[in-house]
Amino acid sequence: MHDNAAHRRSARSDVNRRHRIGDRGDHFLRRVEGETGANLSACYQCERCTNACPVSAFMDVKPHQVIRYIQLGWRETLLASSTVWVCLSCEMCTTYCPNEVGVAETINHLRKMATHSTIRPKEPHLAVFHQTFLEELQRFGRVNEFWLMGALNLKPGVLKDKIRSGALRQEIELGYTLWRLGKLKLIPHRCKAVRGIRALYRNRYAEKD
Amino acid sequence: MKLAFYPGCSLEGMARDYADSIDAVFRSLEIGLVEIDDWSCCGATAAHSLSEMMAVALPARNIAAAEKMGLDVVVPCANCFNRMRFSQAMIRKGIFDVPWSVTGKTRIHDMTRFLSRDDMIEKIRRRLLRPLSGLKLISYYGCQMVRPPRITGFTDYENPQTLDRLAAAAGADVLDWSYKTTCCGASIGIGRRDIQEALTRKLLAKAVRTGADAIVVSCPLCQSNLDSIQADAGGRKLPIFYFTEVLRLALTRVGRSQRWLRTHIADPVPLLRARRLLP
Amino acid sequence: MTPDPRAHRTRRRPEGKVLVMGGGIQCALDLADTGFFVYLVDQAFTVGGTMACLDKTFPTNDCSTCMFSPKLVRVAGHPNIEILSNSQLLELEGEPGRFVAHIEKGPRYINLEKCVACGQCAEKCPKKVPDAFNGNLGLRKAAFVTFPQAVPLKYALDAENCLYLTRGRCGLCKKICPTDAVEFDQKPETMTLTVGAAVLSVGFEPALTPRHGEYGFGRYRNVITSLQYERLLSATGPFAGHLKRPSDGSTPRRVAWIQCVLSRDAARNRPFCSSVCCMHAAKQAVLTRSHLPETEAVIYFMDIRAHGKGFDDYVDRARYRHGVQYRRSMISQVYQDPENENLIIETFDHRLNRKTEEEFDLVVLSSGFQPPGSWRDLCTRLHLTVNPYGFATAPFDEPVATNRAGVFVCGGIESPKDIPETVVQAGTAAAEISILLSDARHTAVSQPKITADPTTDGEPRVGVFVCYCGSNIAGVVRIPEVLDRLRQMPEVAHAEDFMFTCSAETLDRLIEVIRKQHLNRIVVAACSPKTHESLFRDALRRAGLNPYLVTMANIRNQCSWVHPREPQQATEKSLSLILAAVRQAGYLEPLTDQRYLVTPAAMVVGGGISGMTAALTVADQGFGVHLVEQDQRLGGFAHSLTETLEGDSPQQLIRRLERRVLIHPNIDVHLNSRLTAHDGQVGAFRGVVEEAGQPEPVDYGAVIVATGGQAYEPDEHGYGKDDRVLTQVELARRIQADPDQVRGLQRVVMIQCIGSRNADFGYCSRVCCSAAMKNSISLKEANPDVQVVVLYRDLRTFGFKELYYLDARRRGVLFFRFIPEEPPRVKTNGTGKIIVDFTDRSSLHDFRVDADMVVLSAGIRPHEASGQLAGLLKLPLTPEGFFMEAHVKLQPMEFSSPGIYLAGLAHSPRFISESIAMAAGAAQQAIKVLCRNEITTSATVAEVDPDRCTACVICVRVCPFEAPFINTDGVSEIPPPKCRGCGICTAECPAQAITLKHSTDNQIEAQIKAIAAGELG
Repeated sequence: MHDNAAHRRSARSDVNRRHRIGDRGDHFLRRVEGETGANLSACYQCERCTNACPVSAFMDVKPHQVIRYIQLGWRETLLASSTVWVCLSCEMCTTYCPNEVGVAETINHLRKMATHSTIRPKEPHLAVFHQTFLEELQRFGRVNEFWLMGALNLKPGVLKDKIRSGALRQEIELGYTLWRLGKLKLIPHRCKAVRGIRALYRNRYAEKD
Repeated sequence: MKLAFYPGCSLEGMARDYADSIDAVFRSLEIGLVEIDDWSCCGATAAHSLSEMMAVALPARNIAAAEKMGLDVVVPCANCFNRMRFSQAMIRKGIFDVPWSVTGKTRIHDMTRFLSRDDMIEKIRRRLLRPLSGLKLISYYGCQMVRPPRITGFTDYENPQTLDRLAAAAGADVLDWSYKTTCCGASIGIGRRDIQEALTRKLLAKAVRTGADAIVVSCPLCQSNLDSIQADAGGRKLPIFYFTEVLRLALTRVGRSQRWLRTHIADPVPLLRARRLLP
Repeated sequence: MTPDPRAHRTRRRPEGKVLVMGGGIQCALDLADTGFFVYLVDQAFTVGGTMACLDKTFPTNDCSTCMFSPKLVRVAGHPNIEILSNSQLLELEGEPGRFVAHIEKGPRYINLEKCVACGQCAEKCPKKVPDAFNGNLGLRKAAFVTFPQAVPLKYALDAENCLYLTRGRCGLCKKICPTDAVEFDQKPETMTLTVGAAVLSVGFEPALTPRHGEYGFGRYRNVITSLQYERLLSATGPFAGHLKRPSDGSTPRRVAWIQCVLSRDAARNRPFCSSVCCMHAAKQAVLTRSHLPETEAVIYFMDIRAHGKGFDDYVDRARYRHGVQYRRSMISQVYQDPENENLIIETFDHRLNRKTEEEFDLVVLSSGFQPPGSWRDLCTRLHLTVNPYGFATAPFDEPVATNRAGVFVCGGIESPKDIPETVVQAGTAAAEISILLSDARHTAVSQPKITADPTTDGEPRVGVFVCYCGSNIAGVVRIPEVLDRLRQMPEVAHAEDFMFTCSAETLDRLIEVIRKQHLNRIVVAACSPKTHESLFRDALRRAGLNPYLVTMANIRNQCSWVHPREPQQATEKSLSLILAAVRQAGYLEPLTDQRYLVTPAAMVVGGGISGMTAALTVADQGFGVHLVEQDQRLGGFAHSLTETLEGDSPQQLIRRLERRVLIHPNIDVHLNSRLTAHDGQVGAFRGVVEEAGQPEPVDYGAVIVATGGQAYEPDEHGYGKDDRVLTQVELARRIQADPDQVRGLQRVVMIQCIGSRNADFGYCSRVCCSAAMKNSISLKEANPDVQVVVLYRDLRTFGFKELYYLDARRRGVLFFRFIPEEPPRVKTNGTGKIIVDFTDRSSLHDFRVDADMVVLSAGIRPHEASGQLAGLLKLPLTPEGFFMEAHVKLQPMEFSSPGIYLAGLAHSPRFISESIAMAAGAAQQAIKVLCRNEITTSATVAEVDPDRCTACVICVRVCPFEAPFINTDGVSEIPPPKCRGCGICTAECPAQAITLKHSTDNQIEAQIKAIAAGELG
């Protein structure tokens, strides 16, 4: 009797554990292919991308799996992955892909989708960094490293985490070294045409998810 | 000869030394660099990551300005170069409209590629003041300069030669190594320093195994990354030169102060003295 | 549609000569042996092509040179073949039957007639250059011979490097050449040839060049191509067969192979599979492990494409017996350790979730293949159409045709292929030409005059010739020592050594020595008489001796190969073996061959596509055919097929062939029939065809076995119980018959390797992966929204079929890999969806599909009738029940029993176009017999002494060829044409009444005594 129940339980978990194929259609695949022009369907899972990627160990979904997951329509898993933030856009995967899949461009596209989605980014610091960078750019037209770091540290939670991890001390030390070497520009340059750049930003928010 | 020059944000800050040496080298080669008037940031990885439109539009502004000047553009920073070529390619394909008038006809040169043309190499050889013989160098290109090949135009993306040719023209002994284009992970350092360190440490360990005295780079981010990470690593420290510093050393007189050589964390002066390249 | 080539046949009799451009050795022989004169034109200084570079071949690990060299010798010595080396075809004008070919013959700077291949020019030549034949891994001189067995074996000057030709200095070779053969003033010559047809068999070359920069090839010294590795393994290679790596000559301890380099790579515009690399990497890894058991061999790959006969078995042996490590992971970049020039391969280890670096001493790149460099220009000059990748792919039902009538292709230039397929296509091309020019057969060739062999005999004068076999023998056995000892023996009149005794030029020298020294008993101490004795018999014939006065001592297979580490003992053993042969030679007697007339008709068993094609190929050349089909209609297995992957119709093909067969005046069709009796010998068989129960005796000179195959009937996955579980063949029919039902499908799962590659049936059925591609593309065409899931073990869409795999993927078909230990599980209860559960090996996720239909890729089995026929014709079968050919590489269409040939599915699973090629090729082998008036049989047969025979019938029972019978005198008689000379009866006869000629008791006793007496200490 007891055995039977255990068996039933494992049978149920078996069903839960199994991913279903085809129940989501291929809308997601078609959408990503349409938006990136990438040849995702051509992938034959040779794993050249994952072997070439310098950071595959830090990704929860490996590059070749990214392509497979898109084919299966697993949007949430992908947008919530660390992969989209950890990717360095170093283009090793795209360069060596025998099927011209455009893996890096695809991951980059998923990163944009993740930004515009409600899914909490798995690597919040990386997401905040990119955001801050664009804000600084909007402010001055150019990006000043000193001001960028300052603005980043003012973002919620960033400073706290840096203090906890000891990164802040490292940062200050490096800052001091750079200043000593004359490589820290304290006063930012402001572009004359900063208004035109800001106009771009307004358009950017008109961009659809 | 005159060229439009797009320095990029780093050259105003962390890569001041790069800017200085570029200035000295082009002066010595008698090539005029005309800075693009009121240039703005290319958007770097952030724009590329968050908005395709921005990634195209931001560099386009600078390309438009250069077109007005009627000059080819030369770009020292690998990332800026990559972003500008990308923007130009997208505009040529007609995928994006940008608020600036861009024909896409201006030629955008990576600075190393421009200077490693046969005529430039010849020019460098002729003006050599101090051949850097005995100095063993390896060149490091990073990822942004060569990949993806269809954007950058580097067909030898696995074994690029531009820096190698320039360092050799300066009289140095250039060693081959396999990690010329392996990403150093600099761009991820702000959020995930662990990844950055893992990648850079490995790269530096491979560099040390070649037996080289120093590394030659062209990317400001790579330079500061390689230079600063090894500062807190033990073992032998390799000076990380901008290629223009190597050229400057070979082409110009170095004053007693040697101040422009003292801008690195791994100080190259002892090495250069040991190789009898500095008094 | 390509026009029927016969429509172009001119009224006038066509030209009986054929141009074969490129190596084309097999094609040249197949034509020359069927009564045509062949100009064999090769751009290189020697014929031989890629096979000459190979060390050994899969799946038998036979020495490539040893298999190949007899062919080279035959080509060199064939009276109907003229070799034009260093030549190029410029233009081809005219029409089928009567072409004018313009040839440019490049300067060799050495006079072919005068050169005696003494090698002094190369010895003295001061200029060393990288040796292209050895993949530039070694050096050769500017005066050189490509390889020791080259044909023609004549030296040449390399114009790009010769100091005299480039700078006007040196000229040393001219000064020292003993025959004054060096001619610096040679110029290119053009000539015109009149030929009836042309074959282009220019082969292929590795696609990878240093320019590609892939994996550091050309940058790192220890990264080499697979063809270079063949040279490293080869005894005639740059390191004389000792495996060393190029950078420092050290023995590699870890070797990696990277597969699919410039193959299956759409990004580099090479989206097709090169078909052979999986197997040659397996072979190279096996050879590496057997040369150096300490050395690790690792193969990085995507799919193992072992789609040939017995190939999976070979790969399994490589893995489990030889310890070759297979890693299913593709590599992007190879890194070099600057300190030791070792190579580093980075892969991602899913188990450890980190990147691992593995270090190798040597990395071998399995480069894909491309047409040779000069091919594109040749196509332009000849107005030939090629596919986007430069290959001259032929139509489905005309596997060697080009867009130009009378011009044919075969081999690697048609598509990348393995040696047996190349041999098959060579036969097909020969068959097409033989049909086209059949009116001109024997008109352009000198008929060999059959003269009785001399029987004169004298006091024995024994000559011994010792072969180095490159380093195969000389690398172990100390030949100078052997010669010294032989020369001291009183019974040896003459002893001499040769580098390759079997080369054509050496044979000429051998004949000269025989004549000069008045030798009349010859011992050749070299390799196996099985492969080479006939060669030396011919040489004796040419020297004016009776051909049976030669014997061989096998000091290679029986000595140097088995004792590679004991040179002293091997030298002693060689001497013993040679002495035994010398003693035997003293008893050798002149023997006379037998002759009989040929019946000019063929028996074709099986009326499928192969059988009909074979029948037409024979009949169109004017010979009779008995076509025997068991069924009530012609067509066979192909009746069940709707469409090929490429979109061709087997049904139309069957109808076309059937129409021609039924009205052909030379073909006698027997339906509802079987061959029930068979007797006689090659050229003169006699059998009984039972047609609807009525026996009818028939005579024929050759047999073509084309019994075909049948589909495996699955009992897996609910097949037969649920009609939504069907086979690929059934699905194809349903797509055609009921397109509406097919359009309504939402999810379809296909499962590969059903009834193939398992313990019961080891073969890969070769065609099922392509069938899955075809049907999944059809399903997607009918309804782009249908979800097709293909579950596979290795995707084997080899050659240009890979393009359809790419197409299927692009259409959204999903491919998941499973392993046989965890096969997919199909649950069906007759209603509702069919549940398919499986584990994907790439993501390691468990999946479930609620399918509307499950399609099983059921394999191909031999026809059930093949067992009966094998018994009747005494032919061997493989454990799987397919017929076993004479030799997997070079004789795929022949059996070891002469006069019987093999075609189609009876050989192994194959595609229709491959069956057509094979049927025509097999028919052409039969033509070699049928086009002769009479046949000569060997004199080395058993003979019964009627006075001693007691009619105990032991000989009748033991003979595997059913030769002996009890004659009207009540004693045993052995008809010479049926005896194969195996000697079993001789050994078994209790009355010692049987003598095997050429292996008589006194000869064997003399050998035993020589060895057992230990005369040599």
